[in-house]
Amino acid sequence: MTVVKTSMRNFFAHKGRMALSAVAVLLSVAFVCGTLVFTDTMNTTFDKLFAVTSSDVTVAPKDAEAEDTPQNGVPESLPAATLEKIRSVDGVESVEGAVASMNVTVVNADNDNVGATSGAPTIAGNWTKNDLRSMEITSGHAPRGPTETMVDSDTADKHDLKIGDELRTIAQTGDFKAKIVGIASFTVTNPGAAVVYFDTPTAQRELLGGADRFSQFNVTAAAGVTDAQLKQSVSGALGDGTFKVQTAKEASDEGRADVGEFMDVIKYAMLGFAGIAFLVGIFLIINTFSMLVAQRTCEIGLMRAIGSSRRQVNRSVLVEALLLGVVGSVLGVAAGVGIAIGLMKLMSAAGMNLSTDDLTIKTATPVTGLILGVVVTVLAAYLPARRAGKISPMAALRDAGTPADAKAGWIRGLIGLVLTGAGVAALLTAASADKASDGSMMLGAGIVLSLIGFVVIGPLLAGFVVRVISAVLLRAFGPVGRLAERNALRNPRRTGATGAALMIGLALVACLSVVGSSMVASATSELDKTVGADFIVQGNQRIVPQAEKAMNDTPGLEHVTRYKVLDATLTSPDGKTDDDGVTAADPTYAEDVRRATTEGKLSAAYGTDAMSVGSDYAAKHGVHVGDTLSVAFKGGETAKLKVAAITSDDVAIDQGARYISIATMEKYLPAENVPPNMIMFAKAEDGRADQAYAALKKSLDAYPQYQVADQTDYKQELKDQIGQLLNMVYGLLALAIIVAVLGVVNTLALSVVERTREIGLMRAIGLSRRQLRRMIRMESVVIALFGALLGLGLGMGWGATAQKLLALEGLNVLDIPWPTIIGVFIGSAFVGLFAALVPAFRAGRMNVLNAIATE
Amino acid sequence: MTSAVSIPTHGSTGGRTAVAARARQVVKAYGSGETRVVALDHVDVDIARGQFTAIMGPSGSGKSTLMHCLAGLDTVTSGNIYLDETEITGLKDKKLTQLRRDRIGFIFQAFNLLPTLNAIENITLPMDIAGRKYDRAWLDRVVETVGLAGRLKHRPTQLSGGQQQRVAVARALAARPEIIFGDEPTGNLDSRAGAEVLGFLRRSVTELGQTIVMVTHDPVAASYADRVLYLADGRIVDEMYQPTAEAVLDRMKDFDARGRTS
Repeated sequence: MTVVKTSMRNFFAHKGRMALSAVAVLLSVAFVCGTLVFTDTMNTTFDKLFAVTSSDVTVAPKDAEAEDTPQNGVPESLPAATLEKIRSVDGVESVEGAVASMNVTVVNADNDNVGATSGAPTIAGNWTKNDLRSMEITSGHAPRGPTETMVDSDTADKHDLKIGDELRTIAQTGDFKAKIVGIASFTVTNPGAAVVYFDTPTAQRELLGGADRFSQFNVTAAAGVTDAQLKQSVSGALGDGTFKVQTAKEASDEGRADVGEFMDVIKYAMLGFAGIAFLVGIFLIINTFSMLVAQRTCEIGLMRAIGSSRRQVNRSVLVEALLLGVVGSVLGVAAGVGIAIGLMKLMSAAGMNLSTDDLTIKTATPVTGLILGVVVTVLAAYLPARRAGKISPMAALRDAGTPADAKAGWIRGLIGLVLTGAGVAALLTAASADKASDGSMMLGAGIVLSLIGFVVIGPLLAGFVVRVISAVLLRAFGPVGRLAERNALRNPRRTGATGAALMIGLALVACLSVVGSSMVASATSELDKTVGADFIVQGNQRIVPQAEKAMNDTPGLEHVTRYKVLDATLTSPDGKTDDDGVTAADPTYAEDVRRATTEGKLSAAYGTDAMSVGSDYAAKHGVHVGDTLSVAFKGGETAKLKVAAITSDDVAIDQGARYISIATMEKYLPAENVPPNMIMFAKAEDGRADQAYAALKKSLDAYPQYQVADQTDYKQELKDQIGQLLNMVYGLLALAIIVAVLGVVNTLALSVVERTREIGLMRAIGLSRRQLRRMIRMESVVIALFGALLGLGLGMGWGATAQKLLALEGLNVLDIPWPTIIGVFIGSAFVGLFAALVPAFRAGRMNVLNAIATE
Repeated sequence: MTSAVSIPTHGSTGGRTAVAARARQVVKAYGSGETRVVALDHVDVDIARGQFTAIMGPSGSGKSTLMHCLAGLDTVTSGNIYLDETEITGLKDKKLTQLRRDRIGFIFQAFNLLPTLNAIENITLPMDIAGRKYDRAWLDRVVETVGLAGRLKHRPTQLSGGQQQRVAVARALAARPEIIFGDEPTGNLDSRAGAEVLGFLRRSVTELGQTIVMVTHDPVAASYADRVLYLADGRIVDEMYQPTAEAVLDRMKDFDARGRTS
């Protein structure tokens, strides 16, 4: 019992010193709990949504995949006659035909897109009774007739749409205008979708391209008929084949599974970052307890001298850790709920209205948080506790002052070197791997080993690196700089651990920035090498003939290239078939995207009844130029096409594509089955690129569903996309870095306490407050820069290895983003300054006499 | 007798006045009301330049407080303290720090040295902090005087307690301060090492003309001084010139007895 009592006393006596460690535990636990609560809440929200929106039984076309629009851009549909068939089935109370298309673009009078932007779909459809389950008309009325439409209130709010405004809806089959006559509000959480409604005939005609078709049927069961029974009788009546019949539960399960998968990805990614924060927190906790034990050496020696056993001393430290873990975790769980609510608010701001009513805190969440926080804290304190147990009773008698322990031993150095060596070897193996899959294992092993290795030899490296940094930086500050350097060096283990905490976060930042910037550089270089086209036109929707015509009519263009992806079944001479389809393009495509060939000339593949295949395919099936492949076009005839070229697959664009010319396609595919263009290219006449770009943009003004980009814009877009992704990751890594900064603050604060007498002495013999503060700030900067140097070095190594490995996947150019790296390095110096603020202030405020008198 | 002011002027070592430091009606009190404790009770004292002054007294007599106040480490409740002609009472921390750095030397009982610096670095630290150039010849002489020539590159942990205190003495001497304050500088040493250190202090006064004020409760240590001041209950109760250990001890016994009977 006395053990617990001493621990409690110690814990509360050092509240301040424990505070930062508690914050580290708190942050990590909060992030874990926040993630769990947030994803659980999202799942609850979607469960509710799906439960509400699914009717008893739905009948849909068999291969209607929500995400995958068929090649002609018109959603799959069912004939209206099916409606009557279902209606006559026993147990059907009512049935309703629904029309929905996600392959639409909705614009306002200024041609500005009013659709969903956050990745959620824009849905156009007919207003049905089923919709009433999740929405209510809050103003105006439901659309009646071809010129009326209704939008959801979220979209209306976001784009300032009012009743009477005109919207243009662009479907694959054409576009049409309608005035808003009503606004409907979601009664459940809207996951960010934008919805526009029409009356049924308009929706059928404009969205599905036929008056007598529906996207799906919503069937309501008669009283006493279960969904399963109803499904059975409906399936029976319709016969199998082209229908997909689902009960409400099946439909919502399916939707939930899709969302669940996505949420799991988010969940595990965020938990991964929480894990990194935990890892960094471990360093902080180890450091805190090591320092507390060191400072208490005399006291512990006394305890041992008067008869405490090793175990008791050991346990008393662990009990303190337990208290810390409990306090940190409990607060962390509470903060986690706060984080989850914060994330929900953020999602609301991004267009997805999550209600806090749905806040889901499963029992497992606080339990996980508590266990994780407590276990990690106690484990981290184990080493220092053991060290405390080893303190001899003699320590009480010695005038220990500041213990000069922690000389990094050579065994440690050896272990560290072996680990680092193994890590480097693994990285080198990864870099020279022939297959990405083998290499990635080695890369992972290399990263983990080199990280652990660096952590282990950190204290040894600290001696060297700190001297180098000081030689460059601190010499300018004279004796104060020298004092700072010596202080940073006096306990290499402490400096090493503090720096290592920062190292982890920054290594990941450096690694990802190298990979990201190599991605941009590789893509850019690939574009420069292969893309000859000046302009690229593409969008969410396939390019309709009207837009194609507008492009053809644009002045200043040398050529315009059509590019279509066709469904087709290929049979190679060895009898193997696949459904990967072919790409039909104009012969100018060979100029637009230059492809190296391993056999034949690509231009020949655009001849009549000719084609090309990729080198991988050719190698796999033993195909050579001159061989004949059988190509069965979906909706057309089967053609015998002669292979005229084999393209190299060592590319990032169009890897493995099989090209034929549009002319060949037209020979075998009836015009009505020719899909619209997936993407189009254009080349300006010589020296008129700017005019042509402007003209092309103008021609496509009326088609806001497509984006026009020249090469510069396209590259910029690519860069922005990767940059956005990186920023998100950096944001998540910020958590780990914040914990590491807390670690620096903690080390400094404890060092200041530990060096109270020294500080008093220095003040007595004339060190001014300013000099004292500067000394502490510089020590902090040196520790931070040590961590940054190690982290950035390690991270760049990882990044370069990853690039070498990914070169197999087309990431050919290594680009080290020096501005980012140097920025992070300099930023670390500021982090050091920032971390020293409070410790330096407190040291400066210390009363000289008291400091001298401190035992 | 609450004052020790009437001191004959000695031959000084380039100082402007014969008095290196003065205290006038200095009161130091802690707390207020009923818990008020007076550590120094209207003390007047002059410290003669070029002399070795010892301050003695029983625990709680205020001897350390007096030294701390004279040295600008502690503030006074009332009264004035002068270092040469500079009044240090009322100075801001910045000025006080400068004053300590440039004009005062310290030798504490223990923990005198920075463990991260070696002996010579510790010795030159005050001048380094001040950014002052040091007089090489003087430094060599000081180092030689305290007998540390062979150990200048050693860290404090590699030195014995006596050696450490000698480094501290050298540090105090090296910057040629106007006055050196010692707070029981030999309190942690055995008698032989203590005698060594005291010998250096004595020599630095005699040979180098240094002014030294030392707080001690050891009659033997006090016997190295030119003059001994006795403090009791925050007041100067007696003084003695050219003391011997026996005379000091006798006087102490005397106070002790008087204290017990009163």
